[in-house]
Amino acid sequence: MTPQESLRLITETMNNNRLDIIRRSGKHFLLWGALLTFFSLLVYALWKITDNAAWNNLWFAMPVIGFLLARLMEGKEKEPRPQNTISRIVGGIWGTFGIFACLISLFTVLYTLLDKSDNPIGQIVVGASLTAQIVLLFGMAEAASGIALKNWAIRIAGFVTGIGGVILYYVTGVGKEQMLLFTLAGIVLFVTGLIVRNQHK
Amino acid sequence: MFPKLDPLLHSELRLAVMSILAGVESADFTYLKTQTGATAGNLSVQLEKLTAADYITVEKGFKGRKPCTTCRITPAGLEAFNTYIQALQAYLPTAQK
Repeated sequence: MTPQESLRLITETMNNNRLDIIRRSGKHFLLWGALLTFFSLLVYALWKITDNAAWNNLWFAMPVIGFLLARLMEGKEKEPRPQNTISRIVGGIWGTFGIFACLISLFTVLYTLLDKSDNPIGQIVVGASLTAQIVLLFGMAEAASGIALKNWAIRIAGFVTGIGGVILYYVTGVGKEQMLLFTLAGIVLFVTGLIVRNQHK
Repeated sequence: MFPKLDPLLHSELRLAVMSILAGVESADFTYLKTQTGATAGNLSVQLEKLTAADYITVEKGFKGRKPCTTCRITPAGLEAFNTYIQALQAYLPTAQK
């Protein structure tokens, strides 16, 4: 090999490898996007039919199902996907989002269950702002992923979903329709997966 | 005077393997095989050479029931890889540097 050929080989191999890893990480966006859309529509439908907000507890099943499906998907891969800096950062961002979203939901449920004071307004305020808080966290994670992946569409989608979602939430008022904000977030996540897969082909 | 190129890295397959491992934390044997397009036998031989030079480590284990061979670049391997790239640049015409 000439020095030029060696350098070309190094550049091409490193570049192809980087793109391949990022492209493969797109399927996690697709999985979680589809799950988020499905759960939001399911909770919305059940809440609407029964007029019972307790169906929101179904959300706690989503991370469990998602985690199991992700493990199943990885197990079916013929060749395990290696991690590079970008895939680790993006994975870390969404892992952190998941943990914070679960914790904030858990705290809200515990607060409303344990608060024995005659303060229904306090409970409503805590419970009601949960959707806005999670949508805001979601937008932050999406925007941060866009920065890591160097993709403007994903960055903008993050800001629009996060900030726009909160505005929409307070404009439309508190009701079962707030679940549709999660449907929007799920679609954004799914489209992000498609962008990641196609952009790095 | 041109610097001497590391003969261990100046081989197409070994260089491709090192280029992949330099960008990841670790890579599975099957992943390296697909990415390089090499045959399993040839790849094994080249990995052994890189391991003997302490440029990479190879760990054999199981993922579930499937056997898996995980390769990682060592600090010595990364240094050799960087030195090799610097040496290559010395061979290029000034305009391309």
